[in-house]
Amino acid sequence: MFASALPRRAGAGFKPEHFADILAEPQPVGFFEFHAENYMGAGGPPHAQLGRLREDYALSVHGVGLSIGSMQPLDRDHLARLRVLCDRYQPESFSEHLAWSTHDSVFLNDLLPLPYTEATLARVVEHVDQVQTVLGRQMLLENPATYLLFAESTIEETVFLAEIVQRTGCGLLLDVNNVFVAATNHNLDPHDYIARFPLAAVREIHLSGHSESVDDVGAPLLIDSHDTPVKDPVWALYQTVLDRIGPVASLIEWDNDVPAWPVLRAEAISAQKLLDAATRRRAA
Amino acid sequence: MKTTIATLALAGSLASALAAIATPATADDSKEKCYGIAMKGQNDCAAGTGTTCAGTSKIDYQQNVFKLVPKGTCVSMKTPTGHGMLEPGMAPA
Amino acid sequence: MSATFQSAFASGLFGTTPAPVGLAAWNTATPERRYGVYRNNVTASLTTALASRFPAAENIVGPDFFRAMARAFVAAHPPRSPVLLAYGDEFPDFVAAFAPARDLVYLPDVMRLEIARGQAYHAADIPPLDPTVLAAIDPARLGALVFTPHPTLSILSSPYPMVTIWAMNAGERPLVPIDDWRDEHALVARPHLAVEVTPLSPGGAVFFRRLTTGATLATAAESAMSEHSGFDLSDNLAVLLRSGAFTAINQDDSDENPNHA
Repeated sequence: MFASALPRRAGAGFKPEHFADILAEPQPVGFFEFHAENYMGAGGPPHAQLGRLREDYALSVHGVGLSIGSMQPLDRDHLARLRVLCDRYQPESFSEHLAWSTHDSVFLNDLLPLPYTEATLARVVEHVDQVQTVLGRQMLLENPATYLLFAESTIEETVFLAEIVQRTGCGLLLDVNNVFVAATNHNLDPHDYIARFPLAAVREIHLSGHSESVDDVGAPLLIDSHDTPVKDPVWALYQTVLDRIGPVASLIEWDNDVPAWPVLRAEAISAQKLLDAATRRRAA
Repeated sequence: MKTTIATLALAGSLASALAAIATPATADDSKEKCYGIAMKGQNDCAAGTGTTCAGTSKIDYQQNVFKLVPKGTCVSMKTPTGHGMLEPGMAPA
Repeated sequence: MSATFQSAFASGLFGTTPAPVGLAAWNTATPERRYGVYRNNVTASLTTALASRFPAAENIVGPDFFRAMARAFVAAHPPRSPVLLAYGDEFPDFVAAFAPARDLVYLPDVMRLEIARGQAYHAADIPPLDPTVLAAIDPARLGALVFTPHPTLSILSSPYPMVTIWAMNAGERPLVPIDDWRDEHALVARPHLAVEVTPLSPGGAVFFRRLTTGATLATAAESAMSEHSGFDLSDNLAVLLRSGAFTAINQDDSDENPNHA
């Protein structure tokens, strides 16, 4: 099985509107990540652009629609499409979310939360196994940004993820912004969450911005909106992770109100500086 | 249908067509060179990029569409029935 | 999470009913606003996906009206696939039957043109027919040629100035009054990387529609001429060659058969 192998550098989420700027000069990023579902057409400019990026950069395929946390069987047609995409681009990594998004035949286009029970654990493990078998590669599973909890949950999220890793051999995509968002939303300490997280399985990190709202009783409710620069407490949390595990592939995600390329690039450079410092500390 | 169009007419038309396309087309080839990238201000991308792995901070308030009226360019577009398209009963309540 | 509970969670996302039982939060037993975040994400992300597929339609009705109309469509026709590139194919028909938009009679056809462009954008990449191939054909056999449509090709017809209205709302042409309010027809194709919209005459629309459904060149030309006396064959052959609408030609040997339609 092909193990996930992104360079231990900063990367950026690829947006078509940045393509010309990206090609204009060598960019200080180690890889680009793209959403699988937006490249499931047969041809056209999307594939022309990816093919060109592939010549110069490592690629990460990030699925957003597989619905791994669904209680119903995985969509075999969709798995086949992912297989075609991975065969075509031979990406260094494939990742998906600990979430669900399809029910019956309706695709809800959001990453919906899952109660953590023995039953859902068994289902997710079965699905991750199936994905890895069909794709012939290790996948990375991402921790979710959640807004609510379930009365029936009996397992801590970090334990739930560790169990999946142990039973399937998948890797983890640690979204540090999601950790901060979810911890705030559930009145928990994000550093405590990181301390409990199975960090040895982390192969990629996500960094992004969030926005602030309030819940039913006026408490802070953060939204994982990917529409701002990475916020200071998230950078601090990222630094903590790097201190623990050293440099790891780190992606800046910016999906709403997408800025001009130089802004996204500057965010990636900020991440790269922290990665470089982590590399120097490892060498020292 | 039995074909009746003269071979001569077809051949002549094809010859004129081939001559016409031999002159450089006005189509903008530069678009092709840059992987289909749209020029600024043009909605040429047609990508329909729609998936998301992010939430949204913008609240999508439910509005009563039966009380809304179209307010885009349709208001100024001239049609055989005049400018605008609103029937009296369609104004906001 | 039982399948039943997942079902309740999902079905509430498109409605306004209270959040399903079984949800929790650290500070309340009824996290309506928290559930509302998911509800908002689903509708907002899908209406945004539609806006990106129908930018001219959004300009025509304005963003507020478009969002309200898209919201109604999303609730009635949620996507059935995680690939959203083709989501909204039924939107023009929905708009045609949507009472608040009923005076915008041309809007569904403009949206169909936007769909054709989107399909062309994502369809397979195949080199278009090389004009020299056609030039080399024995003139006696031209009439019996049948053409293989390019996977990106669509032919559209509207009783309204669909192409003009689309172009003015897609930034292709300045927005000016339309004095010549009449039917318009278009050929949409992407021979290489750029999607091209080529206006057609009414006869041209007949000609290309017949060709795409397998008629021979002679039959298609005759249909166009008999329906529209002003049909200009050489102009339309130039469009055929320049637009990249077809990928290959074949000889239909049954063409001499009088029973062949």
